[in-house]
Amino acid sequence: MKRLPVNLLIGAALVMLVIGAAALSLIWTPHDYTDMNIRGKFGPPSETHWLGTDQLGRDVVSQLMAAARNSMAVALAAVLIGGSIGTALGLLASAIGGWVEDLVMRIADIGFAFPALLFAIMLAAVFGPSLTNAILAISFINIPVFARVARASANQIWTREYVTAAQAAGLTRAAISRDHILPNIAAPIIVQATIEFAVAILAEAALSYLGLGAQPPAPSWGRMLSEAQTLMYLAPQLAIYPGLCIVTAVLGFGLLGDGLRDVTDPRLVRER
Amino acid sequence: MTTLVEVKSVSRHYRMPREHLLRAPEVLTAVNSASFTLNRGETLGIVGESGSGKSTLARMVMAFEAPDSGEIRFDGTDIHALGASDLRRMRQRFQMIFQDPFGSLDPRRKIGWSIAEPLRVTHAETPAHKTAEALEQVGLRAADADKYPHEFSGGQRQRIAIARAIVTRPDLIVADEAVSALDVSVQAQILNLLMDLQDELGLAMLFISHDLAVVASICDQLLVMQHGKTLEYGAATQILNAPAHDYTKSLLTAAGA
Amino acid sequence: MFDLTNLSVHFGPATALREASLTIRPGDRLGIVGESGSGKSMLALCLMGMAPEAATLSGTLTIDGRDMAEATERDWQALRARRVAMIFQEPMAALNPLSRVGDTVMDPLRLHLGLSKQAARARALDLFAEVGIPDPAARLRQFPHELSGGQRQRVLIALALACDPDLLIADEPTTALDANVALRITDLLVRLSAERNMALLFISHDLAAVARATSDIAVMYGGDIVERGPTRAVLDSPAHPYTRGLLGARPSATSLPRDANGKRARLPTIPGTVPGMAELPKGCRFAGRCPVELPHCASERPALTKPGPDRSAICHVLSQEVSA
Repeated sequence: MKRLPVNLLIGAALVMLVIGAAALSLIWTPHDYTDMNIRGKFGPPSETHWLGTDQLGRDVVSQLMAAARNSMAVALAAVLIGGSIGTALGLLASAIGGWVEDLVMRIADIGFAFPALLFAIMLAAVFGPSLTNAILAISFINIPVFARVARASANQIWTREYVTAAQAAGLTRAAISRDHILPNIAAPIIVQATIEFAVAILAEAALSYLGLGAQPPAPSWGRMLSEAQTLMYLAPQLAIYPGLCIVTAVLGFGLLGDGLRDVTDPRLVRER
Repeated sequence: MTTLVEVKSVSRHYRMPREHLLRAPEVLTAVNSASFTLNRGETLGIVGESGSGKSTLARMVMAFEAPDSGEIRFDGTDIHALGASDLRRMRQRFQMIFQDPFGSLDPRRKIGWSIAEPLRVTHAETPAHKTAEALEQVGLRAADADKYPHEFSGGQRQRIAIARAIVTRPDLIVADEAVSALDVSVQAQILNLLMDLQDELGLAMLFISHDLAVVASICDQLLVMQHGKTLEYGAATQILNAPAHDYTKSLLTAAGA
Repeated sequence: MFDLTNLSVHFGPATALREASLTIRPGDRLGIVGESGSGKSMLALCLMGMAPEAATLSGTLTIDGRDMAEATERDWQALRARRVAMIFQEPMAALNPLSRVGDTVMDPLRLHLGLSKQAARARALDLFAEVGIPDPAARLRQFPHELSGGQRQRVLIALALACDPDLLIADEPTTALDANVALRITDLLVRLSAERNMALLFISHDLAAVARATSDIAVMYGGDIVERGPTRAVLDSPAHPYTRGLLGARPSATSLPRDANGKRARLPTIPGTVPGMAELPKGCRFAGRCPVELPHCASERPALTKPGPDRSAICHVLSQEVSA
């Protein structure tokens, strides 16, 4: 039995922590995260409020948990949308080849050159800041990433003999893409999706920090961070908690993605 | 005896990558004016080393690539003049077996699924009994359909690849180095299987190999290629007993004759 | 020089090699023939001290009278650097694609023999000339991908010869090459063995190549050396049923054989398939597939018999004939 890489194990543990907290928040939080109590503001950690309360007396743990849920939902939606469109484009480019492949990949290059945050700010300026627009913006920046990975992996599979055999059997390129290419590029796509999940969490936090993502009262690590910023001298812990959450989530998914890649890509393992 | 495949002065050139900006890129002639005819039920062996053009010729007969000049007729039809959907239907009648028994089956699909693949082109529902029948014809059990390729040895996988090739009841099988990767004793089993299936189903076969001894054991006709050119073409017995070309003689030496 | 006595290799309950005994003297040209899973590559790895870690070894291997059971990894490294060399089936995979072939050959000369750069270069030129690489000075500067398959295999042979080994192990050295090239490489190995009084262990499934390359032959099946003897004698009159089956299954490049009805004759085959390492019969490994099997073959290990001068085989049927 091969030993699993350390980054995979640490990543999986961190990811489980974050997802666990987010899932738990659906059915239970210590308090309602919207409950305010002005008299109890800036409360220290206590038996009722494990990490204390914020400037409006809301329970910090409950807010962090609810924010985790939102963060996961945004990242999941963005990676699913961007990943599906990008993978479909990559498969298409690989299956057709020629100028279609060149065109798709050049457009992907342009997408790559576009700063994601700038694009999100632009969207917010045009359509107004909202969670939906944040999701769309993050989805959009994922499309070229997945298109590239899907095309590169698909091009490899197209050279396999079983694909030639399928062509000899008379299958169309669309049918081969569906039956053979997609199942066999699933591993690199899933690895990429895990890494992009980390990027999406960071992007969501950044957008919310700038006020372009989740709108009050929806809790968000990014907005908690920006609200706490003005109170840095009064209550630094309010900035530290969401910051730690962001680091945990991003690091977790990043390590998990790296670990999965090490496990699924034998070339990289040999070089270690 | 009726003609099944007719190849008339077929040539194929490849443009090499340009090495100098101002000089025209080199052109490699992979196949130079090759011609042959293959009758129903007969076997033609194409012998040559890597780079002789034998695989390119096979790929053109399989309509994977088009010749630059010349024509390939299958049962009277110019296959390179067919439209895409007509060609796909025509493919039911000529199937291929590949060299690498580990690479020619999708590792993520059960073998029953892989064997039925050619049938799905024309059938919406794949009749399970056809898969089972094909498996039994190649000496495997119908129950093996639910296993994955990694559960089989190299020789068994080549049997599975053959089952896939015969499941549509084709008229022609193109076997490209189909036994080259196998151990000697397995090789003999597969060669016998191919001969049995040919006699049973009336298949014509285009058998491509670098190994003259293997080709000699199964082919009626022989075509010897080197650097894209046809050196000898004729009855296998005649060429093997009285090779006209030094190159053929050296292949005989290498085969241990 | 190299002396194997009753060497066995086990992986848990599975046997990869069973009581193999071999002696290799300077200048010997020994062929090892067998199909996948016969144990022929495991035998070669043991001679190089490179058996997998998961394997348990028993028996003795002595090299120049020294019992290698006590040898450390450092001893083996020294041995591999100076005494034993190996060439492989796929020359492209064994060469560093980013390194000029000249550097690849010169590195061990400088590292193991401590030659200066000039001396190493001169030696590399000599070696390239010796293995028949034309225009060696120009070739030294080329990269592996610029050479043909045959030239690459010659470079690897030059590399193997760099430190004047006493034993060259060639594992399927001609399998990936075209027939003509394979012939020339085989002849080169024979010449080098004779000129240098270097032992050659030629491992192959290709009977024609082994016949051309070797003077003695060991046929392996299921981890056993089932038959040994002079190459010509064994190939002309195989004693063991497996050797007979293997030789019969190999088609000959003469005219297409026809049966009485004018149909193509079928090739003689060995029935069944090679069982997995863990499912081999306890007695004779070939039991269950053998055409002349006796009732006790599957359970009792056959003893060594001598079917001819300098020849040996393990087979119950043969020992009955000899004692009768």
